[in-house]
Amino acid sequence: MDRTMIKVENLSKTYRRYKKKEGLAGSLTSLFHREYEEKDAVRNVSFSIGKGEFIGLIGPNGAGKTTLVKMLTGIIAPTSGMIDVMGYYPNDMKNEFKKRYAVVMGQKSQLFFELTANDTLRLFKEIYEIQEKEFKKSKEYFIELFGVKDLMDVQVRTLSLGERMKMELIVALLHNPEVLFLDEPTIGLDIVASRQIRGFLKEVNEKKGTTIMLTSHYMEDIRLLCPRSIVIHEGEKIYDGDTAKLFEDEKTIEEIYRKGGEVHV
Amino acid sequence: MYKYWEISKVHMKEQLTWRADVVFNMLFTIVKILFAYLLWGIIFQGKSMIGQFTFHGMLSYYIVSSFLSQLEMSSGISWEIHDRIRQGSFSKYMVIPVSVQAYFVFMEIGVVGFYFLFDLIAAVVWKFAFRIRFQFTNDPLIMVIAVVMAVLGLLFMVQLSFLLGIMTLKYQGIGTFLMIKNNLMELVTGTIVPLALFPAGVVNVMKYLPFYYVTYLPSMLLTGHCEQEALKGLGIMTAWCVGIQAVIRATWKKYIKKYDGVGI
Repeated sequence: MDRTMIKVENLSKTYRRYKKKEGLAGSLTSLFHREYEEKDAVRNVSFSIGKGEFIGLIGPNGAGKTTLVKMLTGIIAPTSGMIDVMGYYPNDMKNEFKKRYAVVMGQKSQLFFELTANDTLRLFKEIYEIQEKEFKKSKEYFIELFGVKDLMDVQVRTLSLGERMKMELIVALLHNPEVLFLDEPTIGLDIVASRQIRGFLKEVNEKKGTTIMLTSHYMEDIRLLCPRSIVIHEGEKIYDGDTAKLFEDEKTIEEIYRKGGEVHV
Repeated sequence: MYKYWEISKVHMKEQLTWRADVVFNMLFTIVKILFAYLLWGIIFQGKSMIGQFTFHGMLSYYIVSSFLSQLEMSSGISWEIHDRIRQGSFSKYMVIPVSVQAYFVFMEIGVVGFYFLFDLIAAVVWKFAFRIRFQFTNDPLIMVIAVVMAVLGLLFMVQLSFLLGIMTLKYQGIGTFLMIKNNLMELVTGTIVPLALFPAGVVNVMKYLPFYYVTYLPSMLLTGHCEQEALKGLGIMTAWCVGIQAVIRATWKKYIKKYDGVGI
């Protein structure tokens, strides 16, 4: 039985962006003559991920990590290459495919800020066509796991960042996805909240067998959760293997981030 | 189908969050009717008829027309799509197993359902407060056609707003499109001045545009005018709804590939 959940070969994504010279003259010129440049966000990336793996995706800002996640979830179409997630071409955006994965982006929300988390969960129960019995069981499990029983009937906008992220994760996990994509889930969270989130993710991965791909600038997240890491730099895969080995030599990580953002260890 | 009704319910619940919004919406409706009462009262001084309208006929038209216009709130859809595409958060709708267009249609039903209830109460209260002798059509078939036409008209406006919203995928900005749409709407819907007061040639041209059938003709039909236009109007409105749906499909298919989700 093939247990490969994600397979990509020579995956590339090129963006086209508008460019102009500085100043008013540059703005006026651009009215008549528009210049564009092409930026390779992801270049010839290949890898495969098996069922139940917990993979870390790391690299400096602008390396192409989020672009990769967006291609894997079907949000954007690749420019070239092969991509297969659970037997689907993600950008076909088929509903049966969407029911089998979830994506949580740290700075984006599926919650309705004016309503309560319970209201959003009820909506997602219907959207994912979850049976009432199954819904109650999952909801209770996650409420218990995340310790948020008292927050379920509170207006979401009044929740703290950490509490909100827990709710985002419950919404994402409610339909028991086979693959979970997490893009910076601990961004802006304090040490305690980050530690809690890591604990929940570990339990979901181990108990439910959910395949998880985690993007994070916090090396602690990657080191503690992901046995395997993929490192992206300037759109290219430069490392794919054992996380512990990657962190054996701190200089390796520093080198990876030399041109990009900071490393939070 | 339940998932779409739940979308309507969630957005209706959102409308009920802020009590001041509910109160001011009702007050706004009341003030509009009061203003119309005073304005048309002055215009009708010393006259029993203007065009084909009596004073009470004009007020009946105004109340029905402004009631339908209040329900046409679809322009928010264009801006929601525009802003989310520009900010890179349109993916919120793309990653869940629903039709994105249907999501917006049912979202609108939820929002409109809320206003429908409160505007109806306000309109009925003022009918009695001003002792307006409402002039409704006596023909049940015309009444049914008018209601169906109004529903199709509101659906068309949601379709148009969705289409203009997704044009952001291609053009990045849709302010010009929305300005043209809004100006055309104000001219053609006859919300302020009935189209019956326009020259016949102008009205004939407008009759091929969908906007004529969104609030104007349903209002006229409900208040007992233009009954000979009912069936033809229903046909034209249906054709516009079907036609624009084909355009939406083609546009979505062509331009969704351009979405780059930049901003995340």
